[in-house]
Amino acid sequence: MNTMTQPDPFMLNQWYPIASLQEILPGQPRATKLFGQRISYERNVAGALQVSDGSRALPVLEQYGCLWTSLGEPDELFDVPEYAEPDRRNVNAGSVGVQVSAQRGIENFLDMGHFPYVHTGILGALPHTEVKEYNVEMIRDGREIIATECLFYQPMASTVSTSGADVEYIYRVPHPTCSVLYKSSPMDEKRLDAIALFGQPTGEETFRGHMVLSILDDVNTDDFISYFQLHIFGQDKPILENQMPKRLPLDPRAETPIRADKTSIMYRRWLTGHGVTYGTIPAAA
Amino acid sequence: MIKLYDFDLSGNCYKVRLLLGILGLEFERKNVDFFPGFKHRAAEFLAVNPLGQLPVLEDGDLSLRDSHAILVYLASKYDGSGRWYPTGDAALLGEIQQWLSLAEGLTATASAARLAEGMDFDFDAEAARKGAYRLFDVLDEHLWFREREGSDWICAPAHPTIADLACFPYVMLSEEGGVSREDYPAIRRWTDRVKRIPGFSVMPGIFPAQLGS
Amino acid sequence: MHDKTWVPVANSTDLAPHHVFQGRLMGQELAIWRADDGHVNVWENRCLHRGVRLSIGINTGSELVCQYHGWRYANRNAGCTYIPAHPADAPARTICSKTWPVIETGGLIWTHFEDRDPPLPELPEGGAALRPLPLAAAPEMVRESLAGLAPEGFGPLDETLQARGPAGSLHLMVQPADAGRAVIRGIVQSDEPELALLRRLNLFLRSARDQILAQAALTPAPEPIPHRPERVSEELAEMPEMVSGPARLRVQVAKKELVAKDIVALELEPLRGALPASQPGAHIDVALPNGLLRQYSLVNAPGETGRYVIGVKREPESTGGSAAIHDSLAEGDLLAISEPRNNFTLRRDVEETILVAGGIGVTPLLSMAAALKDDGLPFRLHYFAGSEEQIAFGERLAALGDRLVNYIGLDPEKTALALKGILKSPAPHAQVYVCGPAPMLDVTRATAAEAGWPDAAVHFEYFANTREIDTSSSFRIELARSAVTLEVPAGRSILSVLQEAGVAPPSSCCQGACGTCMARVIEGEPDHQDVYLSEAEKAAGDKILTCVSRAKSDRLILDL
Ligand SMILES: N[C@@H](CCC(=O)N[C@@H](CS)C(=O)NCC(=O)O)C(=O)O
Ligand code: FES
Ligand SMILES: [Fe+2]
Repeated sequence: MNTMTQPDPFMLNQWYPIASLQEILPGQPRATKLFGQRISYERNVAGALQVSDGSRALPVLEQYGCLWTSLGEPDELFDVPEYAEPDRRNVNAGSVGVQVSAQRGIENFLDMGHFPYVHTGILGALPHTEVKEYNVEMIRDGREIIATECLFYQPMASTVSTSGADVEYIYRVPHPTCSVLYKSSPMDEKRLDAIALFGQPTGEETFRGHMVLSILDDVNTDDFISYFQLHIFGQDKPILENQMPKRLPLDPRAETPIRADKTSIMYRRWLTGHGVTYGTIPAAA
Repeated sequence: MIKLYDFDLSGNCYKVRLLLGILGLEFERKNVDFFPGFKHRAAEFLAVNPLGQLPVLEDGDLSLRDSHAILVYLASKYDGSGRWYPTGDAALLGEIQQWLSLAEGLTATASAARLAEGMDFDFDAEAARKGAYRLFDVLDEHLWFREREGSDWICAPAHPTIADLACFPYVMLSEEGGVSREDYPAIRRWTDRVKRIPGFSVMPGIFPAQLGS
Repeated sequence: MHDKTWVPVANSTDLAPHHVFQGRLMGQELAIWRADDGHVNVWENRCLHRGVRLSIGINTGSELVCQYHGWRYANRNAGCTYIPAHPADAPARTICSKTWPVIETGGLIWTHFEDRDPPLPELPEGGAALRPLPLAAAPEMVRESLAGLAPEGFGPLDETLQARGPAGSLHLMVQPADAGRAVIRGIVQSDEPELALLRRLNLFLRSARDQILAQAALTPAPEPIPHRPERVSEELAEMPEMVSGPARLRVQVAKKELVAKDIVALELEPLRGALPASQPGAHIDVALPNGLLRQYSLVNAPGETGRYVIGVKREPESTGGSAAIHDSLAEGDLLAISEPRNNFTLRRDVEETILVAGGIGVTPLLSMAAALKDDGLPFRLHYFAGSEEQIAFGERLAALGDRLVNYIGLDPEKTALALKGILKSPAPHAQVYVCGPAPMLDVTRATAAEAGWPDAAVHFEYFANTREIDTSSSFRIELARSAVTLEVPAGRSILSVLQEAGVAPPSSCCQGACGTCMARVIEGEPDHQDVYLSEAEKAAGDKILTCVSRAKSDRLILDL
């Protein structure tokens, strides 16, 4: 597969996460990939971050614990207001490379139906498999997808829970390869924990998922929160890496959606509407 | 109580957890944040293992590093059946050691490719994959003829040994490093059998033989 | 790329019990698995839902279950039988994994992608299959390079890759896995000790492989054959509702057997191809020789997909349906039947299931019990029968062990009492399924309601509506979508008026029992006379069974 395919304008002109800030040590240059292109970055001794594709300096943004850059001309990055709330723990749980397109990764993140099968005993348990009706809509003039009133039975919904319950989720997709989910906080009934998956498309059929949490938890250590998140993502990996094709098919007749997949259906339509070709298989015209 | 310096996503730690589970031993898991924290290189852990490698097992006054050394110890000390590490038969003992060495090779190849692709380690993934395929070739051929001889396992004819547990993790996790098992049908059947060993447990990246268990 | 022949894609020994083999032919990935009944399935290696390889799924011995969301696909017909995310819905029968024909001979599994079956491969009797050897080289090149090589004791391989020598005869085949990938397979016949011979030939193939790979390295590797999966049907793409077509299937009565007093079991086999998938609780329409259409529930267990099994009781005041089957139908006869439809869906996201059967009403519950047992879910089947000799399908019942409770020869009072006991404590994650004669169903429903079971947890199927239908009213119906107005006079059903106008929904039992002819009511008050809708649904008033129900208001607006 040609890893140097040119991204479409919608994908090109986005901010992308390329590293977790905590891993960047002053004076130690590092490199990664975006759209198959080698990108180097460094925090100089003066503390400033520099990103380059080898021929030019690229835009830099430090946000949500990550370093973001772009190969195009990006607008403002989407807002995750919770990240700024003073009583929250913000944790970068890790950045993991996966052998599948970023959009497949996002779609899996939006999916509740797999919990009892893939995250058995943690985010779901047999025989509780039903995905109840929920709402999906487009907000902010079509710039974001939001799914609300998503309920799912969970035997151990987070690092601090000890018993099973129906847990409520909200999913946001404000970016073609980033999503934020909110779930009832076990510490404070009235507030929601935020868990984000920021996707860095390293190629058309590979991505790095940067996992960032903003949660109400004064019990667990960062190590343990990261352990839990990596455990969950590690369970998704063998599924993602066994999806065929590796790019997300946008033809509505390529796969078989059910009602539980309403968010995924809207996500695929939204990508189609924006002419996304990178990391996807567009429907034949 | 037995204490295991452990990392959830490490195949070498997992093989020790596998045997501990199969033998029904209680143990304390001491999580060392290998990734993303790289705590195995921190002074605190280097005091436990100067090589900076996981796993390490502590049992009473004994502290052991190296997953295969740990498997040998646990099986010799706690397996009443004497099957997981049978010491009575010189040839069998040699064979077990031979496959433990191949398992070590899997750490250097299949596991290295996985760390490079998944956790951005600075390894040559392509070379690692090549090496992994060579080892898979040897293992598949061995297992195919073992089946013909009527044995389901790598070494002993009638039951699994620590050689099976040692080879299993990085075979099973190989796809994360871009190493497909499609061309190794005998390996694929054997991994199904390992998953059906009583007391078997999973780790992220490995599904159980039965749904949702 | 290859002449029209069957191609070997696996060794028989590759298909271990409850294992799924991962194969490839001309760039197409295959999931190959053997069911407990011995049938070998060659399928596209891709779950139709979200594209996950089925080769990482679970072979239960009767079904293949996808690892991602647990969709289940049946042995043989590859139809999806269960979608766990929507446990109350029957999956559309058209969700079917792609399958290819299969034969098993010479210790190898063969398939092909042609429109019609090519001639069978000519193979000598007996022999042993070699260890297959995959290699990254173009299949034509592998074939050319093998021809002429002479494995010790067999002499040189000819054009067709066959060799004969003092050691015996050898037949190699090259499976074109992809443009640049091949698998060498073979069968050997010899008097030599088998294992040593297989080892020797394995060494021969290994060195042949190394030579071929060295040669292949000189030319650029060919591009893999692009993956072009078939598109799913249009209605599935948009979807989720199930559509019932008028499709008529032809089956043959393979077996007719008396399984209890006045009850015969029929085993119906397809004339050709595989039968469509069915789910626990499904029924088929059977067109009888005397022109009648009757519904019978399938008794089939999961994976029992080679034939449909139904149970037919001789009804004393039979309008001719059961009598025709009992008296005039013989083994070998042909029957026209519908595809299975399911109005009695079994949820499997529950912690406890109570099945209540009355008489021949046991048939759908047998199918459910087998499915629950397969899934390892807790359940109990309470079976009410008039006498010992009226207990049908003894073998299937016996397989349920202590999960079966029989109640023999109870009078209505004692039956009611027993039902009270069975339904005494509604549990939050429990469901009840009832099938039997109308009076017993009525009692069961009333008892359940009294005990506090929510309507939605009690599922029932009347196998006939024995209530008297009152057809004395006359009213007008307006069809919102077709923009027509029709009069329904006394004595005629809405359905028959619709049929005359050519806008009728599909129908089946015509007695208000099966739910096929349901229409949505936009305005007006229905006069429900069916036994299909629940009390809550009847009270909501937004659905009507057009075959028996009528209007209390002088007009009804229907969504047709
Ligand atoms: N031979 C050792 C190898 C262990 C090993 O490679 N451990 C990895 C984690 S899976 C590790 O700690 N690597 C750090 C390093 O080698 O520096 C064993 O089998 O225990
Ligand atoms: S992808 Fe197979 S069940 Fe969803
Ligand atoms: Fe997941």
